[in-house]
Amino acid sequence: MRIEKAILVFWKDWREIRRNWQIILPIVIVPLMISVVLPILLTVISGLAVTEGDSFSEFLPLIENLPNNIQMQFAGFTDQQVMIYVMAVYFFAPFFLIIPLMTSSVIASDSFAGEKERRTIEALLATPISDGELFFGKMLVSFIPSMLITVVSFMVYTIVFDVVAISLFNGMLLLPNLDWILMIFGLAPTIALASIGLTIIISAKVKGFREAQQISVILLIPILSLVFGQVTGAIIFGPIIILTLIGLFVVLDFVVFRIGLMLFKREEILTKLA
Amino acid sequence: MTPIIKANELTKTFGSYIAVNHLTFEVREGEVLGLLGPNGAGKTTTIRMLACLISPSEGSAIVAGNKIGENPLVVRQTVGILTETPSLYERLTALENMDFFAKAYNLLDDHKRSERIKELLIFFSLWERRNDKVVTFSKGMKQKLAIARALVHKPPILLLDEPTAGLDPESSKEVRDLMKTLSQQEKYTILLCTHHLKDAEKLCNRVMIINKGKSVITGTLDELRNKINGQIIIQVALKKINSKMVEAAKKVDGVKRVDVDKPASMLKILVNDAELTTPLIVKNIVDSKGLVLSVNVLRPSLEEVYLKLIKEDSK
Ligand SMILES: Nc1ncnc2c1ncn2[C@@H]1O[C@H](COP(=O)(O)OP(=O)(O)OP(=O)(O)O)[C@@H](O)[C@H]1O
Ligand SMILES: [Mg+2]
Repeated sequence: MRIEKAILVFWKDWREIRRNWQIILPIVIVPLMISVVLPILLTVISGLAVTEGDSFSEFLPLIENLPNNIQMQFAGFTDQQVMIYVMAVYFFAPFFLIIPLMTSSVIASDSFAGEKERRTIEALLATPISDGELFFGKMLVSFIPSMLITVVSFMVYTIVFDVVAISLFNGMLLLPNLDWILMIFGLAPTIALASIGLTIIISAKVKGFREAQQISVILLIPILSLVFGQVTGAIIFGPIIILTLIGLFVVLDFVVFRIGLMLFKREEILTKLA
Repeated sequence: MTPIIKANELTKTFGSYIAVNHLTFEVREGEVLGLLGPNGAGKTTTIRMLACLISPSEGSAIVAGNKIGENPLVVRQTVGILTETPSLYERLTALENMDFFAKAYNLLDDHKRSERIKELLIFFSLWERRNDKVVTFSKGMKQKLAIARALVHKPPILLLDEPTAGLDPESSKEVRDLMKTLSQQEKYTILLCTHHLKDAEKLCNRVMIINKGKSVITGTLDELRNKINGQIIIQVALKKINSKMVEAAKKVDGVKRVDVDKPASMLKILVNDAELTTPLIVKNIVDSKGLVLSVNVLRPSLEEVYLKLIKEDSK
């Protein structure tokens, strides 16, 4: 494996992706929604809810579902503070995982299925770059930008909430905390890798970018079940849960990459051009 | 001449379908070998095997001293391939495309690489457009850029899959002239797949016709003509025709038949050997007071040879 060849492929793909609004649009808008629009909306709504009084009562059962040790954290908070605190620190966390999942799968679909679809793959396969170098380069281009976006989104999200918190919580900062650090730097990469691996497998079997994208949506299911789990109080994010998830995803990464590498054979890619 | 490509019983099956069926042939160093055959004959599949893009199901080939499959990276480095579709990155500029492939083909020295790219883009009249995205290029420009890419690492062997497909007459002539230059001045060995028999006629030292994956015939154009007993027709246009002139033409040794085309005022004379008979025919006609306006020797074109052989083979 010559790493410089993988990096060559990485830069080539990155150049192409940068100029493709079909890719850039989703990987910029979704993180922007989750890290900026959602927090601002929450702050505004929580302000309104508190003045009107009744909306907050609908929110109460969700809080009552939370375990006692968490409920203790906001003893003495006002209703608005509780709502913002719980949302920012707990309920939005799984939503955030959509960012590494989606960005990496959008890029990987384009890099693997898209290149097949646009018929540019044959000349690439004709070069003296090995299968492994190609695979690794394309993996890098799916992984690095999506992790950058995730980390930047996390920083933005943290800043937005801390700005809100400074005025609302008398100078107390909400984020970052250990859970979030573990999530962004431990769980997000493993999720991104699983999503890339799965997209590669799907790309080997489908005609083009769109199809690969549509099928990759199934990856949202585990994430949405996390959201649901939290809302019902069944799963509460904490270091133990996050570490367990990291473990599970590492295993999943291993499995999907083994399969992905098996399917990533020059001959297969070229002769299965639909 | 030594063979630079030697294919031995090369075979490729897709499922139960035999796309290439025990092909044995060689390409000699410096020659242009035309690979002809109807759609689906297995031309592209053959080229892909030689470029180590797909592996043969049976048989083998040696490309510039390396067995395909044994060291694919080395084989890929020694061939330049023009694929059936241009296979260019449309969102990248011409220069970016060339730069990427040049690096992929191990042109690592920055200065040498940019010199080589410049030289090629100028040669293909694309230098002015180097910073334009390929998506804005015409089909002919894309084809030229794809050929430039195939040449970037100066491979001794070029595998060209239908280089003039879909080009207008002017661009096709340009590409054809270019291939001529590459072969005659730059001494590239070229394996040329084409449906344009005129191209093959003008460019190839030898041709191989394949049908349904099998070789039908291989040889020089003259050898192929002889194979189909191609007849030569001498057309003599006259001011006026009378029976004396027809008889005079018939008297010449080696003349097999004389047809009279009254409306065109022309004699069509079937012979075996144009060189021997033409002067005598003309002399006899002039002696019988014929006013000769023009003499034209028609040899069977590659097209006739091709059509006849494919028809026979399909029976
Ligand atoms: N990946 C593949 N899977 C199944 N069959 C294939 C595949 N590639 C080629 N074939 C079949 O093999 C045969 C030869 O195809 P090939 O592309 O080599 O023909 P060709 O001579 O290049 O034709 P054309 O002049 O149309 O380009 C065809 O019948 C084609 O359908
Ligand atoms: Mg073909």
